[in-house]
Amino acid sequence: MFVWFAAIPLLPLLAAIFCCLLIARRNKTKLPAVLVVGSLALSFAVTVLGFWAWIDQGKDPINPQIYEWIGVSWGSEPGQSLTAQFGFYMDGLSWLWMLFVTGLATLIALYASEYMGHDVGKGYGRFFAAFALFVFSMACLVMGDNLFLLYLGWEGVGLCSYLLIGYFFQKPSAVAAAKKAFIVNRIGDLGLAVGIFLIFVTFGTVEYGPLFEMVRLGVDAAGRPLDGRWQEWVIPCLLMIGAFGKSAQFPLYVWLPDAMEGPTPVSALIHAATMVTAGVYLIARTMPLFLLDDTHFALTIVAWTGTITALLAATIGMAQFDIKRIMAYSTVSQLGYMFAGLGVLTSTGACFHVFTHAFFKALLFLACGAVMHGFAGQLDLRKLSGVQGMPGWRIVGLTMLVGCLNLAGFPLITSGYFSKDMILAQAFTTPGDTIWGSQWIGWVLLLTAGLTAYYTFRVYFRVFVGPQHFEPGDELHAEEDSHHGEHGEDQAEVHGVGKSHEHFHPHPPGWAINAVLIILALCSFLAIPTYFVMPEHHGWAGSMVHSSTAIVESPGAHHVEGADAEHLGTFLGYDPHKAMYYVSGIVGFLGIAVAFFLHLAGRASAATSRADALLPMLGPIPRWGQNKWYVDEFYEAVIRLPLWVLATLFHWFDQLVIDGLVNLFGLLPRLFARAIRPSQSGVLQGYAVGMAGGLAVVLIIVLIIMGRGG
Amino acid sequence: MPTSLSNLVLAAESPIGPLTLYHFLFVSAAMFAIGVIGFVSRRNLIIMFLCTEMMFQAAGIALISFGRYHLNHTGEVFVIFVLTIAAAEAALALALVVWLFRRRATLDAAAWGEMSG
Amino acid sequence: MSTLVSLYPLLAMALPIVGAIIIALRPAERAHRTAMGVSIGVLLVVFLMTTRFDWGSGATYQFANSFAVLPEMGVHLSYGVGAVAMWLVILTAFLQPICVKASKTAVTEDHRSFYAWLTALQAPMLGVFFARDLVFFYTCFEFTLVPMYVLISLFGSTNRKRAATKFFLYTFTGSIIALAGLIYVAHVATKQGTIPWNFDIDALAAAARGMSLSEQSWVLLALMCGFAVKVPLFPVHTWLPLAHTEAPTAGSVVLAGVLLKLGTYAIYRFVLPFVPLAVVEYAPLIATICIVGILYGGLICWVQRDVKKLVAYSSVAHLGFCMLGMFALNMMGGVGSVLYMINHGLSTGALFLCIGMIYERYHTRSMQEMEGLAKAMPVWAFFMVFFTMASVGLPGLNGFVSEVMCLLGAFQSGANGIGRGGTLGNLGPWYAAIAGSGMIIAAVYLLYMVGKVVFGPLREPGGHGHHQDHGRDAHATDPNALPRDLSRREIGVLAPLALACIVLGVFPTPVIRTLEPSVAAVISHSQIAAKNAISARPDDSLDDSLIVGVARAESAEGRP
Repeated sequence: MFVWFAAIPLLPLLAAIFCCLLIARRNKTKLPAVLVVGSLALSFAVTVLGFWAWIDQGKDPINPQIYEWIGVSWGSEPGQSLTAQFGFYMDGLSWLWMLFVTGLATLIALYASEYMGHDVGKGYGRFFAAFALFVFSMACLVMGDNLFLLYLGWEGVGLCSYLLIGYFFQKPSAVAAAKKAFIVNRIGDLGLAVGIFLIFVTFGTVEYGPLFEMVRLGVDAAGRPLDGRWQEWVIPCLLMIGAFGKSAQFPLYVWLPDAMEGPTPVSALIHAATMVTAGVYLIARTMPLFLLDDTHFALTIVAWTGTITALLAATIGMAQFDIKRIMAYSTVSQLGYMFAGLGVLTSTGACFHVFTHAFFKALLFLACGAVMHGFAGQLDLRKLSGVQGMPGWRIVGLTMLVGCLNLAGFPLITSGYFSKDMILAQAFTTPGDTIWGSQWIGWVLLLTAGLTAYYTFRVYFRVFVGPQHFEPGDELHAEEDSHHGEHGEDQAEVHGVGKSHEHFHPHPPGWAINAVLIILALCSFLAIPTYFVMPEHHGWAGSMVHSSTAIVESPGAHHVEGADAEHLGTFLGYDPHKAMYYVSGIVGFLGIAVAFFLHLAGRASAATSRADALLPMLGPIPRWGQNKWYVDEFYEAVIRLPLWVLATLFHWFDQLVIDGLVNLFGLLPRLFARAIRPSQSGVLQGYAVGMAGGLAVVLIIVLIIMGRGG
Repeated sequence: MPTSLSNLVLAAESPIGPLTLYHFLFVSAAMFAIGVIGFVSRRNLIIMFLCTEMMFQAAGIALISFGRYHLNHTGEVFVIFVLTIAAAEAALALALVVWLFRRRATLDAAAWGEMSG
Repeated sequence: MSTLVSLYPLLAMALPIVGAIIIALRPAERAHRTAMGVSIGVLLVVFLMTTRFDWGSGATYQFANSFAVLPEMGVHLSYGVGAVAMWLVILTAFLQPICVKASKTAVTEDHRSFYAWLTALQAPMLGVFFARDLVFFYTCFEFTLVPMYVLISLFGSTNRKRAATKFFLYTFTGSIIALAGLIYVAHVATKQGTIPWNFDIDALAAAARGMSLSEQSWVLLALMCGFAVKVPLFPVHTWLPLAHTEAPTAGSVVLAGVLLKLGTYAIYRFVLPFVPLAVVEYAPLIATICIVGILYGGLICWVQRDVKKLVAYSSVAHLGFCMLGMFALNMMGGVGSVLYMINHGLSTGALFLCIGMIYERYHTRSMQEMEGLAKAMPVWAFFMVFFTMASVGLPGLNGFVSEVMCLLGAFQSGANGIGRGGTLGNLGPWYAAIAGSGMIIAAVYLLYMVGKVVFGPLREPGGHGHHQDHGRDAHATDPNALPRDLSRREIGVLAPLALACIVLGVFPTPVIRTLEPSVAAVISHSQIAAKNAISARPDDSLDDSLIVGVARAESAEGRP
């Protein structure tokens, strides 16, 4: 009866197929964008309808199944068949994700229809086909009712990410980034795959319904209790590796900053708002498996990995000059927050942060994208200043401000503030004997919050306010192309060459980009009230999590007083939930103030600021930070290069030793032949002598035998 | 079955007295040896061919001798076969020799050493 | 089944032979068209077979018949098709018209002998899958070498003679050793049976299972020596890259698509049911060899400069997965392995076709000479990326299902102590986890190839590519001239493969269900052997429900 949900993934899939057909027909219009925006909007509408229907029927998980995708059986006992339906498991978590995925996808597709306008007739159809395919994959990932379908979506979004990062496929850096993203993700995927295998072998099923029922009872497929078995901690550890890959956590985060090679709408949707939160979704979805282990081994690793990632990415973000990369590192950092939140047992906080982050990070990226679009690809914050004051850029500047305030966690008026607080407060609340060192996690995250506010506003203060100045980027031909839309690409390149900066006019964004920015800014405000509804579940997002498998009874969630509160952590003796409202607000203010002092106050040009005076005092640290702490180089030297050397060695080993041995065996008969070759002299008499000699030998033997025999 | 080669006379009247199988076989062996020596020592293709013919005939004499010795015609039948085949073979071989001669203008067997390994 | 129906396999085998003779006799201009007609004819026959095939009972021989050839020696022309063979027959028949179509412009001289040999090749390939008699099987198995040898040595590229000779001698030597093992089994069967010699495969299998472990081990060694060369498994693979690189495109496709499957099918057909004791005993060793092949082959791919060689080496890695699944000795691995045979044939065959299309245009396979061809050939680039993804094992496409099933099979195998999802066997989670890292390496080398050849700034191979700029002008005059991007014919060649990849990726279950009874019958022997091996150890707690396939094998009337 609920199979009409299938429209949510199928509409984008159809749109993708139609886009491919349009490409095949050499369509040179904006039709692909119309198709995709339309189908995504419909998909969003279906999601909303489905969501209401789900609430109406009492918030129980809906589990419609369409057909059997993979089915193998070798017996009738439980655990002797593998079934992966193409079916959906819709509970609060799925709906929460699908609502913002389809909603944001619609808005960003609308934005992209204008943003990608240069490429109409070239890569336009390809872009939208991959875009729609992404939404399909993401829907499979989130809505799937079993781990195999999740894996399908998981790799599907990876493929689309690959295709879209490599959208400008003639740029070697884009191709390399795409490849890196796919391969690093695959490392995580292996962990996930092995985790799924182990789940199947242990529980005999990969379908959420029966799986979580067994987990609830704490038994395996044979009904034996799981207490203390090694699978309890190995399964979550394996799943966690998958999540780290997809959600760019340390040590697998290196692909995400490079992924900024893709067009900005892609960065906004895939690499900020939706796909990278798939890891959070995975852990939230399989939370019962994580909670099976009483020692919380995996969750402790999740929490600490998230924390380290948050801090590391924030420090890198502080030292970057490319505004899109700063946003990328802030995404990595914020994902670190979400993982830390999951780790310290507030799946509600983590999911709420995913929800708010989706809006404001998409907003930030799209605003940066608008700047990039208007200034011919310029992203260096030293070459842009005072953009907000330029004609036509007010909306971009203001919405950017909204995004920055959210990311910095500006108190009370931003949703980012509330969601981050939930995680921080829970980190302090959760006792250290539940999650090892949770207090320290809290302190590190608090420090990171300050750094976040600083680097966020470093961007805003340098690019959007202050004295007006700009240098256009190197994509002048694209600029030219958009002015003379009818011209072919080749002509545009000719025009672009030799254009001096004086002739360059930044072109402010059109209605679609502005409208999307405004809607997103509004949404990021609208997310605030959702924190205050349904207080028993800590907000609307909490209520969604509450009616899903992600539910966790986080320590101190009900603000227990008295003896029960004894073992809970505190913030310097205060209730963390109350203290955090003030402390994190102050930390955020501090960060913004420092950014103001160093990057806006007294700044006369785009290129320099007071911060430059500070740099010599720090020695080589900023340079190291700008070089991303040399993590990429480290991986290159420790993993890629040795493997490559090994591969080369194998190659030569194969050529010389293995094939050499084969050739040697082939040579043996030849060597033997060479030894007896002289006997074939080619002289007729020689053969005759041989024959006569042979005959003589035979005769002599015969005579001897006859002689013996008498 | 005769017990000795010498006790059965194959041809009674001859200048050197009665001839036994032994004599015939001696002739046969001698002819064969001459043929072999001729084949090995000469390089002229025609002479070599003649030497092979001589070896054939040596075998033929041996066969006929034994036929006579066993008092049946098997040996003679075989010799007729051999002669027939030898005739056909001679035609073929001589044709080949002529053809080879035309190609290289020599009858020296050493001129065809292509099969040298 | 009526006798008339049992003539279908004979018809399918006779058509290519007759066709090859006709092609050889008729003028060269008609060779392509005749070959196409014959291959379509075979496809039709096979299609009729699939409609008549009783998919529910795949473990029994269908279209079965037997003609005495040398009854005194126990040699019969006996054939029959099980579900596994049926799918491989479908694969063979499906690939043939594609190969013929793809060769239209690739072959420039001596059309008659090319198409005649290509067509003739189909008959022994089908025969291998049809055979129920060892002599018939072996004859067909070896007879595939002759047409392939000719195709490589006459129509290959520069180093073709050496490649063809190596291909022939290497695989032939291997097969001889396998034959020795099989004759030994026949000898054992003779000692037991009443008739002097019997070459019926199932009778031999029953006899072979009665041998002791040490005897079985020697037979296993002999069989694996022979068939592993054909697959090819790790240390005996070096003929493959050479043969693939030198072979003409159609030859590569058939080689990757079907000929390698003869090896895997032979192992499935002979090794598993013949020597279950030894198989269980040595499964870890063979699986280790497979894993070494997966990692080793994959890494070697990464440093190749010849794009065709890269894909050739990837076959070594891919078939490592296939064999790993087979030696998991359970349903998951067995079905996965069979699916892998089909899927590898489709996706790797398609990759060879794509590369062949490049070779036709630029006459080079060197990755250093070409870059970013997506700009020049967007349609080609689409197919290339598509089949690469199928080969990488992207879910939703065919490669994923089989790869995951092989890995999961290896994971389950012997994991019966871990949980209910485990089965009897002799591998375990570590095998799957380590082999799984081959998935990462596959992504590394295939994306390396795509990143180099398809993406990046456009650089067409110098000299050769230049005249292609005028390709459109030439196109007007010469019907065989190639456009810069793919022609309609070429799209028509690749599209069916792409479609098959999608269908098998999205709806694999119907295929899996048809394979289940057949695989169950084969693995049941290994399962029993595995159970006995474990029961020999102390502290076992096995219940019989773990033994997979026994009930199925008994319920299916026929022999395995």
